[in-house]
Amino acid sequence: MAAVRMGEMVVSTNADDELVALGLGSCIGLAIVDRSAGIAGLAHIVLPESGDRSDQLGKFANTAVPELIARVRGAGGVTRRFETCVAGGARMFEMTGGLDIGARNEAAVRAALDQAGVRVRAAETGGNQGRTVKVAVGQGLVTVRVAGQSAVTLLAGRGRRGDDLASGRGPTIARSTTASSATGALREPRAAMRIGAWL
Amino acid sequence: MNPSLSDIQLDALRELANIASGTAATALSQMLAREVEISVPRALALSPVDAVDACGDPERHVAGVVVPLRGDIEGLVLLMIPFEQAESLCSLLGVQAHTEVGDSALREIGNILATSYLNGLGAMTGLALEPSPPHLHNDMLGAIVSTLLVGTAGADDLALVLDSELDVSGEPCSISFLLLPTSGQISDLLAPLGLAEPTD
Repeated sequence: MAAVRMGEMVVSTNADDELVALGLGSCIGLAIVDRSAGIAGLAHIVLPESGDRSDQLGKFANTAVPELIARVRGAGGVTRRFETCVAGGARMFEMTGGLDIGARNEAAVRAALDQAGVRVRAAETGGNQGRTVKVAVGQGLVTVRVAGQSAVTLLAGRGRRGDDLASGRGPTIARSTTASSATGALREPRAAMRIGAWL
Repeated sequence: MNPSLSDIQLDALRELANIASGTAATALSQMLAREVEISVPRALALSPVDAVDACGDPERHVAGVVVPLRGDIEGLVLLMIPFEQAESLCSLLGVQAHTEVGDSALREIGNILATSYLNGLGAMTGLALEPSPPHLHNDMLGAIVSTLLVGTAGADDLALVLDSELDVSGEPCSISFLLLPTSGQISDLLAPLGLAEPTD
């Protein structure tokens, strides 16, 4: 498991990797998956605008979005195959007054994606609860979890490594039933063939 | 960018936290008619990202009471009670946790503890510190702390976290206590002690 902390981003081509942004509040978790290339990236974006700062590209929406796109491309990803998910951007405390950083973060991330010609495939944003986002690189599976609840699938995984779902929390499996049962069906004949060959 | 804090400054802040949390522990002990143990407080000057990690498991489900702070110093006091332990704290007060009354009781505990903490801090530094009404939020620790730190530290690279832990004897009930001053206010906290300038 690779923890993606505030202001960090990770791009992986290792099918066994799981990229995780724990406890996103007003921050945004931006996941980009190119499943045919087996690449996934996750950025944990903290603030909307970098102003005149050029360090910490991952911290600000206007610099983190192009950087993540560039890194996924650099690893062999192709923009038109991108499946992009946005999660987080909650307004957790009323007392922050007019400064709704969560909403501003989301708007800035979407604007930067727009500018790069990347469409958002799924989003789980706003509200007043924090979220944890997980990206299973091999499956291209993106899930979101809220405190005290079970994970919800944001981007359904390809069932190739469906068994790994079982290591996650129970309801994840239930949510992605179609994917795992489809693989189950595909797998059985293969298992039978293997037994046949062995006999 | 913020200069980092020296060891002497951090020691002084730790001592402030120690005395302030002592005052808060006394208030809690009187309220619950129980003994309350205080851990040795920590004063941490870290990047916001490390500060979140230093506060505990980011996914831990906690009841967080936030008391915004105004007056000579701006910032906030945050109390965190593990979600499941909120029940034992509420039952000590004779109310049901996770109900309207229970939530109100937690806010009130936050209010009393934060106020006595600030009184302790004020007595030491001579600063006028004024608590605002408390907010209760049940959520993941990381989401609460990171969102608050983004609010207090902004885009700065330095966050100051003063934390202490209060344990109610004989009950599975511990409250962690954090003071997060808004960036730029840290030197105001140190000035009354004659330590506003970095000393090493």
